Amino acid sequence: MDVKKKKLYVFGNRYLEFDSLGTKIAESFSKEISISYVNAPETLLYSKDKEITIIDVVRGIRKPVLIEGASRIRSRKIMSLHDFDLGFVLRLMHELGSDKKIKIIGVPQHGNAAEIAKEVRPWI
Amino acid sequence: MSRLISLNHITKIEGHAKLVLGIKRGKVMRCELSAVEGSRYFEGLVRGRRYNEAHEITSRICGICSCAHVIAAISAVENALGYSPTEQTNDLRKLLTLGERIRSHATHLYFLALPDYLGYESALAMASRHKADLESALRMMKAGNNVIRTIGGRDLHPVSAAVGGWLKYPKKESLAILKKEIVEAKKDALKTCKLFFSLKYPKFDSGAEYFSLVDSKEYAVLEGKFTSQHTSFEKWQYKDFVNEYHEPRSTANFVVKGDHKYMVGALSRLNNNHAHLSRDAKKMLNLSRLKLPSTNPFHNNIAQAIETVHCMDKCIEILESLDIKNEPVEKLKAKESGGVGCIEVPRGTLWHEYSINAEGIITNANIITPTAQNLLSIQEDIRAFVQSAFDKPKKGIILGVEKLIRSYDPCFSCSAHFLEVEWT
Repeated sequence: MDVKKKKLYVFGNRYLEFDSLGTKIAESFSKEISISYVNAPETLLYSKDKEITIIDVVRGIRKPVLIEGASRIRSRKIMSLHDFDLGFVLRLMHELGSDKKIKIIGVPQHGNAAEIAKEVRPWI
Repeated sequence: MSRLISLNHITKIEGHAKLVLGIKRGKVMRCELSAVEGSRYFEGLVRGRRYNEAHEITSRICGICSCAHVIAAISAVENALGYSPTEQTNDLRKLLTLGERIRSHATHLYFLALPDYLGYESALAMASRHKADLESALRMMKAGNNVIRTIGGRDLHPVSAAVGGWLKYPKKESLAILKKEIVEAKKDALKTCKLFFSLKYPKFDSGAEYFSLVDSKEYAVLEGKFTSQHTSFEKWQYKDFVNEYHEPRSTANFVVKGDHKYMVGALSRLNNNHAHLSRDAKKMLNLSRLKLPSTNPFHNNIAQAIETVHCMDKCIEILESLDIKNEPVEKLKAKESGGVGCIEVPRGTLWHEYSINAEGIITNANIITPTAQNLLSIQEDIRAFVQSAFDKPKKGIILGVEKLIRSYDPCFSCSAHFLEVEWT
């Protein structure tokens, strides 16, 4: 696949320090790939991309992790439509038989964005 | 024999609620529904802010109904400052509101209500067997979402609507694409009607007074009188009829008309406005064999399905006639004043009221959500429903009660806004 056609779906809130590292890391790839900042996770349901690469902050990790496939995602029990989070959407895609290749790059809440960007670059 | 049924987290509704049912010798002695969301403070948050910030702040009350709060807040402020929007602005506001209703109804019907009727714990559990149904829902949600994004500039918390007009207009090409998408999604809306007409709804009569806006020109969206089968009044008279009160157990206020319950929402709208439905929505109403007026809250799902068809038809009609002209946003002169905004939103009638001083600062705010208005109805319906279902096992009663609550499509996170501080 042409690297310029690749898209990175970015979750997180740049205004919240503990949730912003994914957005900072994504910015360092903006010249090479297309960056899509996601407001609502259901956006992924309508994506036409065959391969969906997501970057998001994961609480409780110290090093970046790569999760491949939605079957490993555990979704909370849905209490309301306010719980339509990334986990639910990925599980729904999986249950509906989506053949999209899902890759989730989990990054820690805190760290050096430039250093972590180097580490996760091979996964994008 | 006495028993206490406590549902600490009622699932598959917007936000979180709690119900305590006390039953003694075959009689419901205690029935207390409460919102257990944290207090939200939005009415306090807007105090001290400029009049043109109210809609941006109150939009954050709810991610599902952000367009609703934007338009209700703008209407209230414009009402206070004596401004009437242009026809084009009104059309754009309607589109935003209807798009949100399409998205909300489709999501509620398929992801929260349908699993109950098909015997699944959740939409995820039914996904493999009902893939086509969920895909229908997703297409309709996408169509509603695209209306919001195209017209409002964002998927959530729209940024184009403003006090005095519209900030950024959609391109003509985008509107044409939007129309095409809605025409396609309407096929799913028609299928949805047939699916929801085929479900078996419990027989139940709430006997509630049903209120909605009624507009002599159309199926009410932004304008009209607040009307029931018994009475009708203008928006600015609402405090003469509608009373809010607080129950210490609940973070959401309860609202009554006089001293009794009333209901708002899709079923109330359908009862009051069905003569103004689009042609295809009328066809669906006939096909449903629903006898109007209905005060069976379980029929709210049928009403939502019919409304989805109507909302799509209305969007198409507006998009066909809309010829966007660049109208500058009117700069409104601040004055000491007060205004009320009252519009129809997915879950019923939404009220915003603001007082503004001569400098344009908001000095007081009051927001009444549809769920707050429905809370007493829901609670009293549960009492009557349980009273009539004693012969059923506890599990069956709980499922019935949850279905009943969900049929109102409540949003407890939005209705939780009460705070009383006693300084000592």
